[in-house]
Amino acid sequence: MFNPLEKIDEYHWRIPRSYKPGMKVEGLIYADEKLLKDIYRDKALEQVANVAFLPGIVNYSLAMPDIHWGYGMPIGGVAATDIDKGGVVGAGLVGYDINCGVRLLKTNFQYDDIKDKIRDLVYALFSDVPSGVGSKGDIRVSAKEEKELLLKGASWAVEKGFGCQDDLECTEENGAIAGADPDAVSDRAYERGKAQSGTLGSGNHFLEIQVIDQLYDRDICDRLELDLGQVMVMIHSGSRGFGYQICEDYSRGMIACLQKYHINVPDRQLACAPVNSDEGKQYLGAMRCAANYAWVNRQCLMHLSRKSFERIFSMSWQKMGMALIYDVAHNIAKIEKYTIDGKEKLLCVHRKGATRAFGPGNPALPERYRDIGQPVIIPGDMGRNSYLLVGTKKAEEDTFGSTCHGAGRVKSRTASMKSTNLNTLLKELESKGIIVKASGRDTIVEEAPQAYKDVNDVVNVVHNAGISKRVCRMRPVGVIKG
Amino acid sequence: MKNYEVIEHTADIGIRVKTGELNLLFKEAALAMFDIIAEAQTPKSTTQRQINLKQEAGNLEELLVFWLNELLSLSATKELIFFDFKINRLENNLLEATAFGRDVKDYRVNVEIKAATYHGLKVWQDGSIWKAEVIFDV
Repeated sequence: MFNPLEKIDEYHWRIPRSYKPGMKVEGLIYADEKLLKDIYRDKALEQVANVAFLPGIVNYSLAMPDIHWGYGMPIGGVAATDIDKGGVVGAGLVGYDINCGVRLLKTNFQYDDIKDKIRDLVYALFSDVPSGVGSKGDIRVSAKEEKELLLKGASWAVEKGFGCQDDLECTEENGAIAGADPDAVSDRAYERGKAQSGTLGSGNHFLEIQVIDQLYDRDICDRLELDLGQVMVMIHSGSRGFGYQICEDYSRGMIACLQKYHINVPDRQLACAPVNSDEGKQYLGAMRCAANYAWVNRQCLMHLSRKSFERIFSMSWQKMGMALIYDVAHNIAKIEKYTIDGKEKLLCVHRKGATRAFGPGNPALPERYRDIGQPVIIPGDMGRNSYLLVGTKKAEEDTFGSTCHGAGRVKSRTASMKSTNLNTLLKELESKGIIVKASGRDTIVEEAPQAYKDVNDVVNVVHNAGISKRVCRMRPVGVIKG
Repeated sequence: MKNYEVIEHTADIGIRVKTGELNLLFKEAALAMFDIIAEAQTPKSTTQRQINLKQEAGNLEELLVFWLNELLSLSATKELIFFDFKINRLENNLLEATAFGRDVKDYRVNVEIKAATYHGLKVWQDGSIWKAEVIFDV
């Protein structure tokens, strides 16, 4: 068993630089004793140490409590590089599903008032929202319009009538990160992304109807008009084939950059280029296109969900109070300013399976959230809970404004398939009042709750370590999977 | 009988393939990848299609990943599942091949593989046997 960890306190663990010659900074893991038992099981800690090799990396190679073995960078990893000191950006450090993320919207419904309608809703959502491998949507755009979409992000969808201005304000980067460069995107990526806008995809992506089952911060809940028993909708999806192709196109090029820029990393999937190099700039331009594509996608998915609710309840979505709480990206690289050793620095912050968690007062937040901090949405597994948190100043000081992104897998897909019986699982979920509908039978088994850590344990760590704060907890009642 | 072993990975899926010839290693890895993605349904309703591919890389390992990712990309854009491969040329890290596929409608698709990754990627010769390990992002 690999155990390079030194305990700092109950929630912080260090991988010293001496663990692997070449580490430029220490590894810092947010976890407790219970979660560490799972973390030790795979190669995630080795990957935290590998990330510490990146040129220009600042402070620590960070890992959130939902950390698990990824490819290159661990899932749940955060790495910030100093742009002025040759800091790098890496396609593999963001991953294939660029701007995979989550959005949470509320409704005015109380679960007890509509519980008889949940099955109809799940079936309506399943039929109205395209899901599954290679699923195609009804949203078709011309080549010229595609470029406009990549620049405008979610506002393109709102202009088309798929939502409202308030949705944009409640989306990270207002649903469109600046600096997207459509010319940096290959023809193949355009082709691969065509017809996939407004589709959920497969694997761990989902659409859930949830119910608030625990309030933690009453003041913030009151501000957001959230209460016990309230019905919520959570959407988890990303940039689909468009993002996969951009990551692959630039990963190829960045492998060549390792030699060109004399970069030494222990894993080719960590291939990268200086942020200020042509390769780095082009990748960021293309990555931002994929990020904006993903925001269009989640905006369209939300629009389709609102329409399904309208169909079942014969009421407008506005009347049902289906306002967006927030939308967060959890696979992305961002250029952000931080004070390091008393000096303001421009950093390239990679969040790979990690969520931005800015605290109160941060100018990046919309006016309506500036006093409470950024809403952070943490999806769990389909049988237990999901969370709404808010970001903190401490996160900005300690983790480059980052926190966890979910429960984190603990069991491989094949192990989950071997140990889970589909019918038993469906009965178990149904007995808890959870209705599941999926395109692929295998998906349900692969995504069984047992394949994940308990999100309650993960959130416990980020809350107690102060890098985000619990607001309320939800439990699922309807699950749509690809 | 499957032509590959599954490597356990927490979030993703890895494969290990073994063959007597290097040419076949590329073919077997591609067959394994599409075996994970989909299973054929009968009867077949569409006609077979073939696509010629050419890939060039700095070394054999990267060539394997380039090849697999090109197949994934073509599979997604052409809406085909590939079921057979002919390696026409493999030398100096240059690969020329033909992929044979059928419309995705003829398959039950089980898993979306986003990409073959470079993490833990290995191609090596063990005596007379060629071996490869690849981890897919799913």
